[in-house]
Amino acid sequence: MSSRVAAAGADQPLIQVSRLAKHYQNGQGTITVLKEINLQVEPGDMVAIMGPSGSGKSTLLFILGLLLPPTRGTYLFAGRDVLNLDRTAQAEFRRHRVGLVFQSCDLLEKSTVYENLEFPLIYAGVDRRDRPPRIMAALERVKLTHRVRHGANLLSGGEKQRVAVARALVNQPQVILADEPTGQLDRENSHLIVDHFQEIAAAGGTAVVVVTHDPEIAARCSRKYLLQDGVLVEL
Amino acid sequence: MRLADLWRVSLRQVWRHRRRYWAVVLAIALGTAGLITLVTMGREVKNHLNQDLDLIGGVTVVRLRLDNNQAEAFQWFRPAAAAAVKALPGVQEVSRLAVGRAPVTWRGQQERITVLAVDGSFWKVRGFQPLYGILFGPQAVSGRQRVCVTGSDRARKLFGREDVVGLSLEVHHDLYKIVGVLEESVPEIMRNAVFLPLTTARDRVPGIMLPDRLYVRCRTWDDVPAVASAIPRVVGQHQSDERLLVEINWDRWHRVVKMAWWVEFFVYAAVGVTLLLGTVGIWNIMMAVVRSRTREIGLKKAMGAEDSDILAQFLAEALCLSLGAGLVGVAIGAALVEILGLVLGLHPPAKLFLLSVGLSLALAVLIGVGAGLLPSVQASRMNVVEATRYE
Repeated sequence: MSSRVAAAGADQPLIQVSRLAKHYQNGQGTITVLKEINLQVEPGDMVAIMGPSGSGKSTLLFILGLLLPPTRGTYLFAGRDVLNLDRTAQAEFRRHRVGLVFQSCDLLEKSTVYENLEFPLIYAGVDRRDRPPRIMAALERVKLTHRVRHGANLLSGGEKQRVAVARALVNQPQVILADEPTGQLDRENSHLIVDHFQEIAAAGGTAVVVVTHDPEIAARCSRKYLLQDGVLVEL
Repeated sequence: MRLADLWRVSLRQVWRHRRRYWAVVLAIALGTAGLITLVTMGREVKNHLNQDLDLIGGVTVVRLRLDNNQAEAFQWFRPAAAAAVKALPGVQEVSRLAVGRAPVTWRGQQERITVLAVDGSFWKVRGFQPLYGILFGPQAVSGRQRVCVTGSDRARKLFGREDVVGLSLEVHHDLYKIVGVLEESVPEIMRNAVFLPLTTARDRVPGIMLPDRLYVRCRTWDDVPAVASAIPRVVGQHQSDERLLVEINWDRWHRVVKMAWWVEFFVYAAVGVTLLLGTVGIWNIMMAVVRSRTREIGLKKAMGAEDSDILAQFLAEALCLSLGAGLVGVAIGAALVEILGLVLGLHPPAKLFLLSVGLSLALAVLIGVGAGLLPSVQASRMNVVEATRYE
């Protein structure tokens, strides 16, 4: 996948968002969450998006993951307009280009760590024999290979989030989109997660976009943005 | 999503939540077992029941008579015609009968009484049992033996008692050994008659004519109309059917068939309701499962699962449930068929059992798809963002 990044992104950014807006309709009228978002992310970037609650950080992240359509604007991924993709192509985009990490350590609790990491590979059509090395490589990056056969429900909060990061990595995405990944973790585990993100970004190829409240986390990112009143401002 | 992965993941999911599913699995398994038992054993049990149907009116017996009143030449049933009738599908047994009156002497007193000349299968066709002794069989007929069976009333009138087995009776100057006394629950004319082997009577009793009556026992009451309509053609191929009368108590037949239909209907309805309950159970559980796994669905979509992957997974889980229940039902059904076969002494054809197994598994697939489709479609159409934020 990273070779494709190099090919596609040699002369253009990995993510280029221009004049992106998102409005919601409710019974009382229109709510504008994102007004005029412009963002550029290069391969290997580690970008923090900060902002108060309800400012639209998660909405922006969902739009970048093609989980939510914007009201207007353009979104080029490796130079390709991805807003016009149909549902199947969107799913394919999420399988191969994006790794998502959520705040609430969303693992399949009744499954083992191995099974949690196997799902993205199943959906990507990876041959069964090729899965174990990829799963072990992803777990290696978050230092959890010894937990591979454990049930997800037996892990600590920090371990769960590290498994979630490994799951986001297992399909070797071009960008990791993390929605407050340290929101439910203690300080030590939060820094461990950010360490992993830094290593991933430093290894080249994969960019990381982190939505966070925590200034300490943001301080460790290569670029920081503040989302306020629907506008994204670089700090 | 590859098929092997789909089934592996779905089976694993169902197994891990097996406690949630046991009630519907049991309902479908019992319904399937009932269906297999009904399909496999139904016909055999009906045959078994029909053999004793004279208790409720002998509705499976078709009576044929050649009307010799004012006939120029006496008409009678040839062995070839009887054999052809016996070969008809749905016919279990036939019996030829001749009726006459002959002088019977006992202790110097003579009386003309009804003598029925019958072949060895007569008792089986009519479902008669002896009160004492035995009812003579084909060997006595082919051996032209001088043996007889008396009706119970006739035994009382002649000897003053019913247990007269071993005594001798003089019929038209010949002595016949009484080998049996017929049970009392037979038509009055038979309670007062003496029964002789057909061959012996024709040789020795001048009053006995040739057999102008033929009794036909059908396998089940369902066979009666077809057999009755085929008889004139079959008889006509071997002899004149000009004076042939086919007698069936249609009123009684209709009543028995109607009663049996209702019994069968209620048994099938009970099985159907059980399966329906299982279907509704799977549907209900799958709806609840989809709701409780909303976050999982959202998460999988976020990982790149397509709508069709989600639909296939929930449908496969419903199928695993219904097929698993179906297989349990097949095992219970096989055991039930085996036990019933031993208890009733029945041997249903293996082909019928395999057919019922195929039918049951097909039904299980239908139940799985029918009950799982709507919840699966609902799961596949879930909005990813709403699903990942579902509490």
